[in-house]
Amino acid sequence: MGEPTTPLNSSPPVEKNPLLAVNGVSKRFPNGTVALRDVDLTIARGSIHGLVGANGAGKSTLFKIIAGAHEPSAGELLWQGEPVDWSTPAAPRAAGVATMYQHIPLVPTLSVLENVFLGEMAGWFRRGRLMAQYDALCERFGYRPDPNALVGDLPIGERQMVAVAQALAAGATLICMDEPTASMARAEVELLFRAVNRLRETEGTSFVFCSHFLDQVLELTDEVSVLRDGRMVFTGPTHELTEERLVDLMVGRKLSAMEHTRMEPVAPEAKPVLEAISLRSPGKVDDVSITVRAGEVIGLAGMLGSGRSEILEAIFGADDRCSGTVRVHGKAVGKRVDQRVRAGLALVPEDRNRQGLVGGWEIWRNTTLPDVQKLSRRKMLPDAEAEYARADQAVADLKVRTPSVTTPVSALSGGNAQKVVFAKWIYGDACAYLLDEPTAGVDVGAKADILELVRGFARAGNAVVIVSSEFEELLAVAQRILVVRGGRIVAERNAKDTDEAELLALSSGLGANELGRTG
Amino acid sequence: MSTPSTRERLAPFRLQRAGVVYAFALILVVFTSAAAGTGRPFYLSALNSANILDQTAQVGILAVFMTICLISGNFDLSIGATGALAAGVTLTVINSGAGVLVALLLGLLTGIAMGLFNGVFVQYVGVNAFIVTLGTMTGIRGLLFILTDGRSIQTTDTGLAELLTGDWPVNLKVWAAVVGLVFVAVGVVSLRRERAGRVTDGQGYWYVIAGALLAAVSVIWFPTYWALSKQVWIFLAIVVIAWAVLKFTVVGRRLYAVGGNVEAARLSGIRVARYKVMPFVLNGLFAALVGILYASRFSAINPQALTGIELTVLAAAILGGTSLFGGAGNVLKSVIGALILFVLANGFGVLNLGANYQDLIKGVVIIGAATIYVLAEKRGGRKKLTASDVPAVTPSASISGPAEASGGPVVTGESDAGARAGSGSAARP
Repeated sequence: MGEPTTPLNSSPPVEKNPLLAVNGVSKRFPNGTVALRDVDLTIARGSIHGLVGANGAGKSTLFKIIAGAHEPSAGELLWQGEPVDWSTPAAPRAAGVATMYQHIPLVPTLSVLENVFLGEMAGWFRRGRLMAQYDALCERFGYRPDPNALVGDLPIGERQMVAVAQALAAGATLICMDEPTASMARAEVELLFRAVNRLRETEGTSFVFCSHFLDQVLELTDEVSVLRDGRMVFTGPTHELTEERLVDLMVGRKLSAMEHTRMEPVAPEAKPVLEAISLRSPGKVDDVSITVRAGEVIGLAGMLGSGRSEILEAIFGADDRCSGTVRVHGKAVGKRVDQRVRAGLALVPEDRNRQGLVGGWEIWRNTTLPDVQKLSRRKMLPDAEAEYARADQAVADLKVRTPSVTTPVSALSGGNAQKVVFAKWIYGDACAYLLDEPTAGVDVGAKADILELVRGFARAGNAVVIVSSEFEELLAVAQRILVVRGGRIVAERNAKDTDEAELLALSSGLGANELGRTG
Repeated sequence: MSTPSTRERLAPFRLQRAGVVYAFALILVVFTSAAAGTGRPFYLSALNSANILDQTAQVGILAVFMTICLISGNFDLSIGATGALAAGVTLTVINSGAGVLVALLLGLLTGIAMGLFNGVFVQYVGVNAFIVTLGTMTGIRGLLFILTDGRSIQTTDTGLAELLTGDWPVNLKVWAAVVGLVFVAVGVVSLRRERAGRVTDGQGYWYVIAGALLAAVSVIWFPTYWALSKQVWIFLAIVVIAWAVLKFTVVGRRLYAVGGNVEAARLSGIRVARYKVMPFVLNGLFAALVGILYASRFSAINPQALTGIELTVLAAAILGGTSLFGGAGNVLKSVIGALILFVLANGFGVLNLGANYQDLIKGVVIIGAATIYVLAEKRGGRKKLTASDVPAVTPSASISGPAEASGGPVVTGESDAGARAGSGSAARP
């Protein structure tokens, strides 16, 4: 490690008993994944603490441990100096910790007022009294959403404010926010930040602010902790940090020496296989054009919610409201999914259980789902023999670990189920593969198999567009990388000329220039 | 890859899969012995069995298409009203002097139109199927009241009755034996396929056993004269066709896929909307047919006719193990479910067991059946490849291991190895 790993006690202890201390916490899941290793975190009273880390660094796990949703495998939590056992979500809530996940847990069909006092709605709903309480509450954090509006009608930023109000009404002294600004416009962000600062100053409420937006972290917080691969690699005051330093801390040194793509460059004479022209979908995709040539793998780099999955869906025709043209081998294809499938597009969706597989079905019926007609006698009567043969072939080719092709896919592990999703497309006529997080939730061995499969697609002259939260993976498999933010392609890099740090910076909304590069 | 284990072979016989068949057999045995024990005529006589089938036919036809609708992940409450309206239209047209066939056609078209309305509203507008068909159930009944001004429509024209009522008797002894032997033949063929290393769901056993039983029983037992009504023949033909389409065609496969996971089906290139709308249209069409069959019996239709039949039909589908969430169901089992309901009704009548208890028993049977399915699902459905399966996994994996390593296909037939090498190489250069 190049950077000095700042010892935790280097920041002078402001007080003897901090509000919350996480001491040596580890988390190992039953499947063997180690999400956190010996993590320390100290939240002082009245501080705003930033928590950053790349995708999968362990932020969510740490959040869930603080919220009582996960039990730590080792280590302890101290609340105001006292050891606590927070094994249920009710315990930290009673102590005064409010956790706000990305998905805001409000009841959309109830009014703002009813939501704010949801926890107190035992007994009669005494509107007048609650109204007075609500006004007092809003006074405290300096913003007053219309108490009678239905939460479902509010913009996302205002919902976040309602959630803060709810936390305050429940008497929270520590409010943990996971990506609260992910879908917010700048004005909403400022609204939230003003409320947070005000509460901190007037009442000494503490906050944990977890975000992919590093500029916001630097703007809002007093202290920052950085998680990388489940370890807390840095904790220190924000004013000593710069964006570059933060990115370096998140990525770590080992990755800058990472081996670059093993993909051969695309032959200059290679023809475009897939062309997407001016795709637009209200609120999701904003004027995206992508050309993929034969043998080319394009990586879409972006943060969660950046619109990267939506772009793949738009190309595949799965978004009904999308406008724009898609051409395959130079020929424009129709808008519907079935037309695009017939033209040679294939999508491996992000959520394989919800979008990729029919859970109760066996491997063989899932494998042949897109192609069943071609395997049928007279295009009408499915030929089970041919289907079994194809499924057997897929199981052997993709090294699916299963007792037989009649095993239901719901009984397979994540990696094996994902291979079945791939199997749906590899024996048909697909020439353009759209892969959305193909290695998510997949073990290391299966991951290598899948990446090799992707390289195979390209070597066979197909076009591939791949989305992955792991930029390292994109760099290893793609020749060209497009950075996506807010449903737009904001930068393009050759995989050879970029690294994880730059992609992270670009995806997080930091200018490339600030990193000493030119776009 | 591997020959089916005994457990896989026996799967179709398990309570969870075949419970409705056992229940049906049990009820028949109980009624037959009760009839014998109380000195009444043979319960399953030619007369009474033809009677039961005739009583079941209308609900049975509807149960077939309700099952299809449920498999697709939807729901249709409007069938009773649609049937009554179609009958009203048919009789009105007949009374206006047009021919019976024209009237029949218009009646059926009415049904198609109602089904299409349901389907389009559910699929393209996105209103929940329960709500849409609850609305059309009421609204279509309202149309019928407007058409008839609240009175029954009668016709003196006997054309419709001549066309649709009456019997087509059959020599059951001969035909049942023939059907039984055909079943045995089908079963033997599918079992031989299994022996050849193919995995099937073991239904071959069903065919052989059922066919042999039928052939044997028919020779010693069945009457030579069995007076089946025309609507029973229509019913049987529909059941056979619907079953075959669902089981053996691409359409059936895709229907189950759409019901099982609509998003996966859509992203696999299936035109989901078709498979969502089509069941409603079929439901409308065959509800109309049932309505007309009903009216042909009386040469009249009462605007309140067929009220509540949709619930009996749903009960039949549920008895048959059809999932209310889509993706699972079998028309044969739903038909057996319908038969159970009507055997209960018939048995209570014939045996004079106190008609007052009938509905209570039906209710108990419905909940009991659903309970068995749920409990069996909980015990058997949660199987992951863990613990008890691991010993079974490891040997087969080790058997296929060397074959995989050598790059050759495993057991699965060298016959198409060439074709596969071609397709395989495109994907894995």
